Amino acid sequence: MLILGLSIGLSLVMLIAHQAVSNKISSVKDSIGNTITIAPAGFSGFSQVNNSLTTAQLAKVQALPHVTNVAETLTDRLTTIGSTSPSSFFNQSSSGSSSANNMTSLTSPVTISTGASGSGSGSGPQVHLFISGGGQLPTNFSPPVSIEGTNDPTQLNGTALTITSGTAISGTSSSDNAMVSKDMASKNNLKVGSTFTAYSTTLTVAAIFTSGTQAGDNNVIVSLPTEQSLSGQSGDVTSAVATVNSIDNLASATTAIQNVLGSSADITSAETQANQTVQPLNSVKTVSFYSLVGAVIAGSIIILMTMIMIVRERRREIGILKAIGASNLRVMLQFMSEALTFTILGAAIGLIIGVVGGNPVTQMLVSNSTTSTTSSTQGVVTRFGGPGGGGFGGNFSKHAFGLANVGSNLHNIQADIGWSILLYGFGAAVLIAVVGSALAGWMIARVRPSEVMRSE
Amino acid sequence: MLKVVKVSKEFASGDGHVSAVDNVSFEVPDGQFVSIIGKSGSGKTTLLSLLGTLERPTKGTIEVGGRDVAGLSDHTLVAYRRQKIGFVFQSYNLLPNLSALENVMLPLCFAGVTRRDRKQRAQGLLDEVGISGDKQNRKPSRLSGGEQQRVAIARALANKPSLILADEPTGNLDSETGKMIFELLHNLARSENTTIVVVTHDLSIAGKTDESFRLQDGKLVTK
Repeated sequence: MLILGLSIGLSLVMLIAHQAVSNKISSVKDSIGNTITIAPAGFSGFSQVNNSLTTAQLAKVQALPHVTNVAETLTDRLTTIGSTSPSSFFNQSSSGSSSANNMTSLTSPVTISTGASGSGSGSGPQVHLFISGGGQLPTNFSPPVSIEGTNDPTQLNGTALTITSGTAISGTSSSDNAMVSKDMASKNNLKVGSTFTAYSTTLTVAAIFTSGTQAGDNNVIVSLPTEQSLSGQSGDVTSAVATVNSIDNLASATTAIQNVLGSSADITSAETQANQTVQPLNSVKTVSFYSLVGAVIAGSIIILMTMIMIVRERRREIGILKAIGASNLRVMLQFMSEALTFTILGAAIGLIIGVVGGNPVTQMLVSNSTTSTTSSTQGVVTRFGGPGGGGFGGNFSKHAFGLANVGSNLHNIQADIGWSILLYGFGAAVLIAVVGSALAGWMIARVRPSEVMRSE
Repeated sequence: MLKVVKVSKEFASGDGHVSAVDNVSFEVPDGQFVSIIGKSGSGKTTLLSLLGTLERPTKGTIEVGGRDVAGLSDHTLVAYRRQKIGFVFQSYNLLPNLSALENVMLPLCFAGVTRRDRKQRAQGLLDEVGISGDKQNRKPSRLSGGEQQRVAIARALANKPSLILADEPTGNLDSETGKMIFELLHNLARSENTTIVVVTHDLSIAGKTDESFRLQDGKLVTK
């Protein structure tokens, strides 16, 4: 009985783990969303772009089946007037126009700290830089200001924006209106209606927003045509995020986009990233499934052996029942009901084991399987804050951050034990009883009533 | 009328066959109390199994009330046994986890009698065989050998069978109790007009039956 209980308990624990992991995989995929990131081939952060995308190419993407929206973005960095250019300090090139024209009257809200242990202070975005040889930043150094031209000002790199004051600009008009982040507005004393200069042009603050991300809070947003015009990159786009109508169509849409854009773009599907992220969970899912099958088989064998033993011991009783008029079916049903009772008692023990052990076992399996993945995703988080990405935005670092969050949250699996699990457990117990007593039933049918005479 | 015509029963044994019952024929009128005697291994129990349709004969026919029961299907045989045959065994063969009353109710349950009716009938039968009051609710292990055999007889009578087959019904009882059980069966044969076939070693009992058949090596040698 105890062994059967353990077997049923193990079945339930594995069922609970399987369901919890399946739910987690679904929720991870749902949380990552049904988006596809498109970037020029070889593009990373603000590195040199050799093959920029164009709005004409992305118009073909927009026309593809299942693609509901393509948010196009042209990103540039502006240097604060009177400060040392970050490009000259880091001795690296920036994308797009790097001419003296890309100056702004705005000062970045990002606080820079240097050294081995220092950390920035203040309420705005913070970046910590490690400078080789223990050097110091120039006194007039100011972090660059990111300016994003986008045809979809409701979001920034896939993250929805919250307008705190003013009205969102149109992403397709060529007006000189801009949206600034709350931190940027605070740093530069801007309100809706205030003006500032960028690319030697006066822009008017139409709205102030919050993005909920550090990178987003160092941004100025203008319409895509405006940015293309101001930066002199007519028709160019540095990145795009295509939204697909259903996560089920993500794979086919990704393939279609790859076919349209060919080698000129790097296509990163959220599904691919999600699959890589949940790979350890899939392993746990597989392990729990096979363990479930194994436990059910073990339980069936226990019942089978027990019933065979019972039938052998009670051949005489079976013979008596048949001799006094019981049919084979009647005797088989009696023994099967005994097997069912036996199994239900085992299931009661198993349910207790399942309820008590379901969550810890699930956590343990997931914890052991996701340790390596979490380590790797944490590496992505570290790069996010470094000078390579500059901490100043980019779809890749944003996605990496999202996946890193998912990776670190893989451990946070709560195994729910509801009625459905209990019903599944009961169903499994009945299945075990039926399977386990099937051979016993066949043996019962073969017992001849005359055996009751011969055994005397 | 029980009519046994040239009945044989062979069993496979090693390379060949063994005839447990060999070309046996006899007739028993309704309501008669007959005995079958013979040494151990003479085929008495096999013959009783054939009469009770627990085994099928290799050859011959067994007619009960003009109907050849040897040719019935397995399904029909179950119903036939339930309605027409009552068994009494040497070691009683009561189900140990059921009370005396429940043991008697069991064949009635198989026959589809309602719970109320089967309880009433079982109580009446137990009263008739001398198991009354508290004893009816006792498990077999708390009854004496004679009492257990009385319960077994009450169980055999439950569905009002036309034929009762008793295999050494007094074999496990002392002589006094054996006589009482024999009297009980004899009285039942008279009162219920039930044909009773008893297999026994006890020649004194066999001598008191209406008719006696002797088996030797599977063959009927004397009547």
